[in-house]
Amino acid sequence: MVGRMSRKLGVREESFIYLSMTTTEGDQPADIISTVEFNHSGELLATGDKGGRVVIFQQEQENKTKSHSRGEYNVYSTFQSHEPEFDYLKSLEIEEKINKIRWLPQKNAAQFLLSTNDKTIKLWKISERDKRPEGYNLKEEDGRYRDPTTVTTLRVPVFRPMDLMVEASPRRIFANAHTYHINSISINSDYETYLSADDLRINLWHLEITDRSFNIVDIKPANMEELTEVITATEFHPNSCSTFVYSSSKGTIRLCDMRASALCDRHSKLFEEPEDPSNRSFFSEIISSISDVKFSHSGRYMMTRDYLSVKIWDLNMENRPVETYQVHEYLRSKLCSLYENDCIFDKFECCWNGSDSVVMTGSYNNFFRMFDRNTKRDITLEASRENNKPRTVLKPRKVCASGKRKKDEISVDSLDFNKKILHTAWHPKENIIAVATTNNLYIFQDKVN
Amino acid sequence: MEVQKEAQRIMTMSVWKLYHSRMQHGGLRLHRSLQLSLVMRSARELYLSAKLEEEEEEAAAAGEIFPGQLETGAQTPQPHLETGAQASERVPQPLPLPLERISVAPEPMETQEVGGSLPTRLPLSEPAWSPVPPHGGASKPSRKRRSSTLGKSGAAEAGLVPSKKAKLADEEESERQPQRQEGPFPTLAKVLQDRFSGLILQPPTVNASGEAKPGCRQGDGVLSIMVRAVVAF
Repeated sequence: MVGRMSRKLGVREESFIYLSMTTTEGDQPADIISTVEFNHSGELLATGDKGGRVVIFQQEQENKTKSHSRGEYNVYSTFQSHEPEFDYLKSLEIEEKINKIRWLPQKNAAQFLLSTNDKTIKLWKISERDKRPEGYNLKEEDGRYRDPTTVTTLRVPVFRPMDLMVEASPRRIFANAHTYHINSISINSDYETYLSADDLRINLWHLEITDRSFNIVDIKPANMEELTEVITATEFHPNSCSTFVYSSSKGTIRLCDMRASALCDRHSKLFEEPEDPSNRSFFSEIISSISDVKFSHSGRYMMTRDYLSVKIWDLNMENRPVETYQVHEYLRSKLCSLYENDCIFDKFECCWNGSDSVVMTGSYNNFFRMFDRNTKRDITLEASRENNKPRTVLKPRKVCASGKRKKDEISVDSLDFNKKILHTAWHPKENIIAVATTNNLYIFQDKVN
Repeated sequence: MEVQKEAQRIMTMSVWKLYHSRMQHGGLRLHRSLQLSLVMRSARELYLSAKLEEEEEEAAAAGEIFPGQLETGAQTPQPHLETGAQASERVPQPLPLPLERISVAPEPMETQEVGGSLPTRLPLSEPAWSPVPPHGGASKPSRKRRSSTLGKSGAAEAGLVPSKKAKLADEEESERQPQRQEGPFPTLAKVLQDRFSGLILQPPTVNASGEAKPGCRQGDGVLSIMVRAVVAF
C-alpha cells in the first residue's frame, strides 16, 4: 500500500503520508491560519492566526513501539500574542493578525520567538515549568500567609515535580517604528539583530533594545503620488550577517550589504528578469509582484514566489533566474476572474526542504506543489480531510488545463478558489511538512519503513 | 468595442474595490491600493486608446463626407482657455464646451499647467486644421498634463478639490470635506459613481477633434482618486 522510503529526498521516490490534522477551534475568521514556522531543530512548530493567537506544536519523542513513524505533533502551548488596537490619530484599526513568526535558535532551556502583526513585533519566551517550590515557612501551600507567631520550626523549601506547564511571556515589545504595515521579519545569523520590513521601509533592531531601531532602507518617494513600488518581503542571508535581500511589488529583488553604507537605499545587486512581452496584460504588474523570498539553507540561492511561478535565483547571476517552476500556469487565462474575486492578490509563500533539493508552495483547491530541482519532477498533492485517511499515502493530483479531462483529473473550472494554501513549512532536517489550509493545519511526513 | 467595454468594466471594478478596501478591518493597504491603481491605469489607457481609434475612424469617415465643416470648427477660437500668461495669445482650439470648466480650474497650479501646456499645443494647432492631427495634438498635452499635475486637474474635475466655478460647487461642496478626511467615505462611492457614469454614459460630442479631451480629463479624475488614495497614507 505504501511505497518504500528512499533516503534520497526525491519527489518521485518519496511518498508523503497523512500524519495528522489539527483543526482550529472553529470556522471563525479569527481562526484563519496566517503563518506557519518550524523552529531550528524542527521539534517545535508555531502557527499564528488572524485572531492574534500563537499555537505551538511539539513533536513527540520517538517511541520504540511506534517505530513506523516519527513522533506526531501535539499542542504544546497556546497564547494570545497580539490584541486588536486602535490608532486614534489616524482613526484606523490595527489588526491583531499575526503576519510572521520567526524562531530564535535555542540558547538555553527556554525557546524564543518573534511574532509580528501590522505594527508591533514581540519577543516571546516559552519556558517549561515542571517543578514548583514547596515547604515555605511563611506561606501555606495555597499561597496564604501564615501568622509568623505560629511558626515553630524552620524548613528549607524544596522543588517537587508538578504537571508540566508551558508558559509564554512577552520579553520585549518593539513598537512604534513602522508607519506602514509590517510584512516580514528576519533574524540575522548573528542572533543579535533582526530586520522588520513594511511597505516602504526596512528597520534593523537589536533584540535587547526596544526603544530604537535603525532605518536601513527607505523607498518612500518625496511625493507619494510618484509611488510605483512597495517592499513585499525581506530576509537576511543565512550565513553573511551583513547581507540581506528585499523583494518588491514590481518583481525585483535587491541584495544589500550593510557594510557599504548606513542607508542601504542603493542595492549591491538587482535581480530582475525581463518581462515576456507575449504575456503582457492588464494584470501583468500585479502577478509579477513577489509575495515571498527565501534563501536556500546553503545561502547560494534564493527563491521567489510570484502569483504564477516559483523562481530560483543564483546570487551570482542577476539578469535571470536559474530555474523557473510554473505553479498553476492554467490560471493565466483566468486573471480577470481572479481579479474580480480578489484571488489575484493572494500572497503565497514558498519553502525549501532541508537539503535545498526540493521546493514547495501552495495553490488553490487545497493543492500544494513540490518541485524537485534535481530530477525536475513535480507533484501536486491535496490537503483535505475527506480525501485522506490517516496513515495513507497522499495521491498525486492533476489539473486538466484544457481539452479532454482524464479520469481523476480536475478541471480548472471546478477548482475551489476559496480553498487556498498560502502557508507551508518544511522541517529543517526531516521530510515532515506542515501545510495550512484556511482553518486547518495538516502535517505530513514521508513513509518510514 | 469589446476591448473598450472590458476596460470600462475593469476600471469600474477597480474603483469599487478601492472604495471597499477602505472599509476593511485594518484599514487601507498601501500595496493593495497601488495594485488597484495600476490596473486602473492600464485599463484606462486601453480604454482611451480604443476610444481614440474609434473616434479616428469616425472622424476619417466624417472627414470624407464633410471636409469643410471640420476646418470651420477648428478655427473657432476658445477664449476660455486663455489664462493670464496666455492672454495675448489667441489660440484657436477646437474644444467642446464641457472642457471649459475643467480647463479654467481655479487652482493657480492648474491654471499654470493649463497655460504651460498651451504652448505645446501651439505648434500643433497648425495641423489641427486637418481632421486627424487634433487628436495627436489634443492627447499629447493632456498626457503631459497628466504626468505633471499628478492628477490635480483631474482632482478638480472629480470634485475633490474646491472649484471656484459655481456650477458643480453646490452638489459637491457637502461631499468634498468628508472626502478629505481619512476614514470611511460614505459619499465617495456616490461621487465616483456619478463621475464614472458621466464618463461612461456621456456620448461623445459631435466635435470630433476635441473628443479625446473630456475622456482624458475625466479619466484623470478617477486616476487622481486612486492617486489620492495612495497619497492619503
